[in-house]
Amino acid sequence: MTTNGEETTSDRNVEIWKIKKLIKSLEMARGNGTSMISLIIPPKDQISRVSKMLADEYGTASNIKSRVNRLSVLGAITSVQQRLKLYTKVPPNGLVVYCGTIVTEEGKEKKVNIDFEPFKPINTSLYLCDNKFHTEALTALLADDNKFGFIVMDGNGALFGTLQGNTREVLHKFTVDLPKKHGRGGQSALRFARLRMEKRHNYVRKVAEVATQLFITNDKPNAAGLILAGSADFKTELSQSDMFDPRLQAKIIKLVDVSYGGENGFNQAIELAAESLQNVKFIQEKKLIGRYFDEISQDTGKYCFGVEDTLKALELGSVETLICWENLDIQRYVLKNHTTAEEKILHLTPEQEKDKSHFTEKDTGVELELVECQPLLEWLANNYKIFGATLEIITDKSQEGSQFVRGFGGIGGLLRYKVDFQSMQCDDLDPNELYDIDDY
Amino acid sequence: MSNNAAPDSWEEDELTDSSAADLQQKLIKLNVNAVEFIPSFTSFSSKSDDVDGGPEDETTGGGDKKTTNVDGIGDPLAGDTGGGASAAVLDSWEDGASSTPEDGTAKPIIEIDNDIDIDIDVDCDEEKPKPIAKKAIEESEPKPKKEHINIVIIGHVDAGKSTIGGQIMALTGMVDKRTLDKYEKEAKERSRESWYLSWALDTNQEEREKGKTVEVGRAYFETERKHFTILDAPGHKSFVPNMIGGTAQADLAVLVISARKGEFETGFDRGGQTREHAMLAKTAGVKHMLVLINKMDDSTVLWSKARYEECRDKILPYLKKLGFNVAKDLTFMPVSGQTGLGLKDQVEESICPWYRGPAFIPFIDNLPLLNRSSDGPFIMPVVEKYKDMGTVLMGKVESGEARKTQTLVLMPNRTTVIVDQLWSDDEEVTSVGPGENIKVKLKGVEEEDVSPGFILCDPINPVKTCRIFDGQVVILEHKSIICAGYSAVMHIHCVAEVVEVKALICLVDRKTGLKSNMRPRFVKQDQVVIMRLECSGVVCLEEFKLFPQMGRFTLRDEGKTIAIGKVLKIIE
Repeated sequence: MTTNGEETTSDRNVEIWKIKKLIKSLEMARGNGTSMISLIIPPKDQISRVSKMLADEYGTASNIKSRVNRLSVLGAITSVQQRLKLYTKVPPNGLVVYCGTIVTEEGKEKKVNIDFEPFKPINTSLYLCDNKFHTEALTALLADDNKFGFIVMDGNGALFGTLQGNTREVLHKFTVDLPKKHGRGGQSALRFARLRMEKRHNYVRKVAEVATQLFITNDKPNAAGLILAGSADFKTELSQSDMFDPRLQAKIIKLVDVSYGGENGFNQAIELAAESLQNVKFIQEKKLIGRYFDEISQDTGKYCFGVEDTLKALELGSVETLICWENLDIQRYVLKNHTTAEEKILHLTPEQEKDKSHFTEKDTGVELELVECQPLLEWLANNYKIFGATLEIITDKSQEGSQFVRGFGGIGGLLRYKVDFQSMQCDDLDPNELYDIDDY
Repeated sequence: MSNNAAPDSWEEDELTDSSAADLQQKLIKLNVNAVEFIPSFTSFSSKSDDVDGGPEDETTGGGDKKTTNVDGIGDPLAGDTGGGASAAVLDSWEDGASSTPEDGTAKPIIEIDNDIDIDIDVDCDEEKPKPIAKKAIEESEPKPKKEHINIVIIGHVDAGKSTIGGQIMALTGMVDKRTLDKYEKEAKERSRESWYLSWALDTNQEEREKGKTVEVGRAYFETERKHFTILDAPGHKSFVPNMIGGTAQADLAVLVISARKGEFETGFDRGGQTREHAMLAKTAGVKHMLVLINKMDDSTVLWSKARYEECRDKILPYLKKLGFNVAKDLTFMPVSGQTGLGLKDQVEESICPWYRGPAFIPFIDNLPLLNRSSDGPFIMPVVEKYKDMGTVLMGKVESGEARKTQTLVLMPNRTTVIVDQLWSDDEEVTSVGPGENIKVKLKGVEEEDVSPGFILCDPINPVKTCRIFDGQVVILEHKSIICAGYSAVMHIHCVAEVVEVKALICLVDRKTGLKSNMRPRFVKQDQVVIMRLECSGVVCLEEFKLFPQMGRFTLRDEGKTIAIGKVLKIIE
């Protein structure tokens, strides 16, 4: 995973996705005892200094009493030292090394040696021996984009959320029960009105307090900007209220009008604040899929979806932008018929994998030899450049993303020119669910 | 009066087919709480126990009205674009409806006879002097119940909805002069003189300060023959959800349009609320719409016939497309809310020589009676609730009737409750019937455990609750495509709930009503589709063919109405 000089944004996104995946797999890994080493060298440090430190550690570790633990720790340190030998100096963005023996699902031991240069400078120095790998620094690297806070409040409740990169997160939400207006009262009408005002005031106070709790850490706002959304006047009331922390008040970039509270209001607020959040990946993602949907709704034919069609279009070289869901769980199998030496490529969902018939030749009944098996997305990430496409990896966090994943299988592409696909596969939509149309 | 007197005369009534007035006269004598005897205006073929429509109905209702399906199943829901296509939808929608069996109005029928018996018992009890003096007085002066009609006032922001509402209240004497004077003085102090009328309905401080209605205002007034509940909907774009909640309770919609130069145009443009409100009202099941062309006294209008006709002619095609029958369901009237002209009395000939039709209040008073069958299980969606020496719920009775001390069930939590007190528009009553806007105090449930959108219903036939259902949906306006994974807010009766499209099942041809065999991957604007929807929480609803009021829904997203639909099948 090296970086080349001319890195486009989409390449960078692919890079980010790869790191994300790596972090996920590292986080899952668990080892025996404290034998897993995480080493992060910041840029401009010296390899020799680290080597010396490792040699000292080796000396200390040889005093560990437990034999198993001692051996594995020493083994891990040795492999780190060997890895470091591959570098003459620390790369410009720093260096990250993970070494250790992990226990796999089947209970077997597996040695892991990973070293790579992160996609942007990593400003941490870390050496840790633990029973797991420490990836916090890497996560922080990914999460380095600007974070925007959202407060959505309406008459039914409030929602606090953040938008950062392409992750949309709901931090907290609560509901309130504000009295509505009802023409009751008579003598006590004034009293009711007063009670009502008091409840509303308390609600604003509560929102202001929760906002301070959530968006201020270490006496500093933790968001680059705040967006207040809501129906009616609550949001303006909040923004002007002196209960609202002045540090947060200074961060307000926009007030938007949404017609609903809750999640839907949050989505709408993001949509409405899109102009102020141009550079956030989430917005870019929404725009990209929006463009894809536009192609579909205008029926230009310059789109494709589904694994088969997309790969066909890729081979034709017509794909301009390849859109892929980050958690696409389709595996790419390369199978070989050892009698005829023919190679066969299959793309299977986890369910299809269970069906062993895919792994035998239909006519002859010969079992096929497995040459290669990897997630399709990984294969695409490694090979998309060959097809002259750019790869966009998206999440299903946005409305559009969710539609793309659920309705179009999570893979598709924008094409340069119209391609006529013979097989519009419509039957691959959850075939287990059958609907009886005559019911209606 | 003996126990069997009531049924006797009742039968006699059926035989002689006497006029409604007669009937009511008799009812007065009978001391029968007349809810269940309100003459239904469509002859309910399957139910003989209801009094067949009196002559009055025949004259006013007209034969063709009788054929309209009783439950309004044939409600055409149409798109807002593409005239021809929408008309086709209308057809297809109605086709769908007509295929439902005629007595598919079949609400699960409960033992009606029983009900009546009980009722009569109660009445007889009332005859005997009761120990509680207050009640005795109340009940010893039986008055025939007037028909209840719920009117929702809708329209673009600043069209004058609240002002008209307030003016009506003032004209019918529901707000006394002193209060009005007080309002006027207060408004003057804030140099907002023209707002004082709307303050009768905008009771909140914020609403008065900004002159914008936020929540649905509620008031009532009575005419000689009818009892009206006014629901004053907010016109502002952000408060459309509130407006939907109000419209869901209405029988009759009053669309207020400002004739003032520029105001009419902005209201009617795309994005203006005139169109959206009209469409939502139609979706909510409003059968009759009155269009009031307001602000005729404005300096840019000056009761000009040309302007009136311009407004009317512009809005008419759109309303037609929504499925309103121009001859039967629509009425246009020039009024001035601020001065009150054209509301109670006819506008003087010197001012407006070209419009000699009836004024607003006499007109609605003379509207044919709505059909309401008091049989069927009791159903009341909860619109609001508050605590006042007990749990008080507000809402409109959609069907059936309830009496004091009756046991009911609050869905979806299946809480068994007992009716403690009943009010129909602020007047304490002993029983309520369909169409009434009521308040009910309940025993057996805490206020915190109820939320708007719950349904108060009969324990024998509780409404269904579900999370996943199949619905037929017309996509009205959506810039991109809709496919599985799409989420929006669904409004059904009084609830708003987030729903997600689970799957698209089939497309329905707008013209032929045929269903495609292929499962569509996505749908676009102007298409009709059957889809499976999943709610984020449990929602009370009913299949459209069983109970239309509980089976119509609207999908909204990003402040726009995306689609309208009806519930076809409840899955789980």
